[in-house]
Amino acid sequence: MADPSIRDFEAAIAELDGIVKKLEEGDLSLEQSLALYERGVQLSRFCHAKLEDAERRIEILTDRGELKPAPASLQPDDTDR
Amino acid sequence: MGDLFDLPFEEEQDQPTAQEPPTDGRLRATPAPPHSSPPQASPRPASPPSVPPLPVPERVGEVVPAALARPIAAPHERDRAPRRRPGASSGRALTVGQLTAQIRHLLESELFEVWVEGELSNCRLWNTGHLYFTLKDSSAQIKGVIFRSSLRYLRFKPEDGLKVVARGRVSVYDPKGEYQLVCEHLEPQGLGALQLAFEQLKARLQEEGLFDPARKRPLPALPRKIGLVTSTDGAAIRDILKVLARRHSTAHIVIRPARVQGEGASVEIARGLKALGHVPGVDVIIVGRGGGSIEDLWSFNEEIVARAITLCPVPVISAVGHETDVTIADFVADLRAPTPSAAAEMVIAAKDEFRARIDRLADRLRTSAVGRLRTLGRRLQLLTSRPALAGLPSRVANRGRHVAELSHALAHTGRLTLQSRERHVRSLERRLRACDLRQRLAHVRTRLVGVDGRGAAALTRRLHRATTQLRECAGRLESLSPLAVLGRGYAVCWNADRTRIIRAATQATPGDRVRVTLAEGELDCDVRDTILDSAPRVQS
Repeated sequence: MADPSIRDFEAAIAELDGIVKKLEEGDLSLEQSLALYERGVQLSRFCHAKLEDAERRIEILTDRGELKPAPASLQPDDTDR
Repeated sequence: MGDLFDLPFEEEQDQPTAQEPPTDGRLRATPAPPHSSPPQASPRPASPPSVPPLPVPERVGEVVPAALARPIAAPHERDRAPRRRPGASSGRALTVGQLTAQIRHLLESELFEVWVEGELSNCRLWNTGHLYFTLKDSSAQIKGVIFRSSLRYLRFKPEDGLKVVARGRVSVYDPKGEYQLVCEHLEPQGLGALQLAFEQLKARLQEEGLFDPARKRPLPALPRKIGLVTSTDGAAIRDILKVLARRHSTAHIVIRPARVQGEGASVEIARGLKALGHVPGVDVIIVGRGGGSIEDLWSFNEEIVARAITLCPVPVISAVGHETDVTIADFVADLRAPTPSAAAEMVIAAKDEFRARIDRLADRLRTSAVGRLRTLGRRLQLLTSRPALAGLPSRVANRGRHVAELSHALAHTGRLTLQSRERHVRSLERRLRACDLRQRLAHVRTRLVGVDGRGAAALTRRLHRATTQLRECAGRLESLSPLAVLGRGYAVCWNADRTRIIRAATQATPGDRVRVTLAEGELDCDVRDTILDSAPRVQS
């Protein structure tokens, strides 16, 4: 999933924005249109992946600055949803 | 901690004695003379002043002697110094010192605990830490002092013009012949002390520009880790975690436990904010607690918390109590959530918004790319159908190539479009499946059916449309292919070795052999005659 041509989520969404605008406005050649389209698809896929990327985790930051998993009492109770 | 040493002695230390007259010309309290200590109580509290609040007596507005029933310092004792004979012989007259001592005795023994109501004026804080002021009403005024050891227990800042109820004792300063009120506690009137402290801090921070909307930072588009400063036993944390779980968020949460009420809570909250702000990846922090009384929520009205919020390197959402509870933290936070649950919703909402935005962009991407291709296709069609078939044979080869390229491109795009649409629909279906409808709240359910349901239907429709479109395009392309033209009844006439297309009758002479390409197969022909004046007739 790591794509060196995409810096981060925010950059990806900005680039996607620009591509869509260019496609909507510009009188582009077939080749340009296709290249932009492909790039756009790649970017939107990246963004979606990023959105679903994070894993659910709950940690406690202790007084000593250490991160520990939260006690079971704080883990979401599945029956509680 | 240091309170033990904040002893009453300290007050005396700073008070001028008779040997050291005050240079500031102000009235100071003096210790009671040893011979005249009152019978019931010491004029000064035996222990350091304890924390307020004290009940306000029913009868404020006047000086209330602590012991109303008690007669004033034995006026009928004959052997005492006569008071009503100022002109008598010097042997029987009082010295000024004696009189003053008696006055002091009277005042200090009778007025050793009074409640007085009035307006503060001339408030001046000395570098000794004691606050001097005048307490007045429309008819009279009295000078007063509140010592540093008592001042520190006040939650609000005494200011000129404030109406207060003061508790204290009256004390006389012999060298000046003046009396003053030595206050142990002040309680603002009208507003409670807490309310007043709130207003004062609010005004001060506002003045500093800390509530300026321009200071508010936007929430991160995609929080990597969500920081949480609150009590791990409170309702707030449970509410927040519940919301995140219910929304199936994949949030990564880092909790910094902090007490959220009681002595020292504000320090823990401030420290928690600072610590969490420096955890890598934490890019938004929720600070808050569940509902409670104004005292319970008080930590969030303290300056140390307000400062910690403004200094926090990442945006802070305040989520204190219920919707109607407003704290100083709410004013300085980048975003105020009415409740802890709402704070959680806000963090996730950003994610939802982004998801929707990307979907919209992807949609526009497809639409515009397909539109572009369609435009190009239309132009091609125009070109091939216009000056049309007169010149067709010569261009057939070129066109053929162009068409082949286009059709390849279109097929490629079509494949891409279809694939990504299918993927989108699949992902929507996945998301729909992932939502356990039974467990969701009613409004979420409505939203799902309303938005996602509609969205899925629209997508399916679009998919159909795209498929049809593609089929049409393919059909159109076919109609433009040279083979198709031949299929409509046209033929191409070549010279015998097929190196040249014969466009005019003059290019052949009777007896020549020519080849004719048809839609299917070719003819090997002999020219029997050339007819030059025949107008070309086109049949459809």
